[in-house]
Amino acid sequence: MATNQFVVIHPLDDLPEQKADIESLGPMPMTTSVRVSLMSLRAYLVAMMLMVLYHVLGLAGRFR
Amino acid sequence: MNNKILTMPAPGVETEVMPARGRVVKSKWTRDLLTFLMVLGPGLIVMVADNDAGAVSTYSQAGAQYGTHLLWVVLLLLPVTYFIQEMVVRLGIATGKGHAAMIYQRFGKWWGLFSLIDLELVNFLTLVTEFAAIDLALTKMGVDPRIGVPLVAAGLVLLVLSGSYRRWERTVVFLCLLDLVWFAIAFAVRPPLAQIVRGSVMPVMPAGGLTPDLIFLVIAIVGTTVAPWQLFFQQSCIADKRLRFADVKWARLDTFFGACITITVAGCMMLAGNASLAHGFKFTDPAQMAMDIGSFTNGFFRNAILLMMINAAVLGTTAISLSSAWAYGEVRGWPHSLQLPVKKAPGFYVVYLVSVAAAAGLVLIPRAPLQLIILSVQVLAGVMLPSAIIFLQLLLNDKELLGEYANKPWNNAVNWTIIIVLFALSLILAAQVAAPNLFPAS
Repeated sequence: MATNQFVVIHPLDDLPEQKADIESLGPMPMTTSVRVSLMSLRAYLVAMMLMVLYHVLGLAGRFR
Repeated sequence: MNNKILTMPAPGVETEVMPARGRVVKSKWTRDLLTFLMVLGPGLIVMVADNDAGAVSTYSQAGAQYGTHLLWVVLLLLPVTYFIQEMVVRLGIATGKGHAAMIYQRFGKWWGLFSLIDLELVNFLTLVTEFAAIDLALTKMGVDPRIGVPLVAAGLVLLVLSGSYRRWERTVVFLCLLDLVWFAIAFAVRPPLAQIVRGSVMPVMPAGGLTPDLIFLVIAIVGTTVAPWQLFFQQSCIADKRLRFADVKWARLDTFFGACITITVAGCMMLAGNASLAHGFKFTDPAQMAMDIGSFTNGFFRNAILLMMINAAVLGTTAISLSSAWAYGEVRGWPHSLQLPVKKAPGFYVVYLVSVAAAAGLVLIPRAPLQLIILSVQVLAGVMLPSAIIFLQLLLNDKELLGEYANKPWNNAVNWTIIIVLFALSLILAAQVAAPNLFPAS
């Protein structure tokens, strides 16, 4: 191709490129502290969801 | 520009891969502009769709109650929303996978399932609020919602059925650009420029001081500007569009461009609310605000606000439903792409269809508890956001996965600051839900 000519290709028309191979990596290694933090976070979320549910049911008059 | 189409052979690739087609241009400037326009989409859409029906309500309420005093909060959220979504850009381009797939594969099925349930629950409730807004706006425009809501829902389903990502993206980008009508609305009802600038850069306590209403409106503004579905949507969108490593800088620009538009439009919504406040109207909902503004401007602005409410809800609905469908497809291992026709990805399209139809149907049920659903959405989204960002933060520090695209120390410093602030706001919200009288009204 002559100089000063550029080819612009739409991503959907381009050839697929090699991405990070997630399957071969498997699950992420996590330290105990990270695992405990995530479990705490999960417990917090479950507690919050139950609290929101309780609050909303209360507003809906279910506990009268 | 030379519009010659160049077709390049693709030696050594699988037979199902289409040969690369490109446009030949003669200057670097044109090349950069064209590349940006081709990459433009996921960032703009995720940001503008974030200004959904709930956002229209929250921003206009903020303007209607506090005038221009909270403009600075919105401006402060520009870097926050950009930094979070920029991480999604890197993750999506480096892996070519959606966010749900990443959590499933890197954290295991247990965490993947929890994240999926959280997402689908909040998404569905948010979709109900989108259709509730469409119902409200149609009613004010004199259209029977029993006809209008199903028609809008049918249009939203048709939007994705073409089997072409590009067709869907072009239509949605057009709808995003329609949001610029808010500039005209804000210009027509604007306060003096000095007041806007002061409100944008000088945090001043509004009259009445720090009340529970003010605290929760600020939390609602944060919650509506940064939402969990955005992480899932943009990453899946990037994967579906097959953005390449070379596109990272353009995808960042797309995201920044979208963030600037969404924040500016949010400011315009506040100015509309401010105008109704200045004329002595009490805010009830954005549709009523449109009627109030119409009473001192003209019918054009009334209808423009109502149509922009519907446009916001439509954008929110297509983006949120797609984030649900992509996430479900990724986790179940189903084909999940807008590039596929319905018969090749039936599960993906069924999830989209069910999301839209169920939310639209619920809104049409007489005496459905819409107000309770809207309340639940605001609280749940606020509570879930920090934990969703923590998964993102952990993934972005996965050097084994991302290599040079992993977070730098300064990224982590910024993102942990954002997470801590969001957690603090989430805890305040939690405290208010648990003990509504904790913050006494002044």
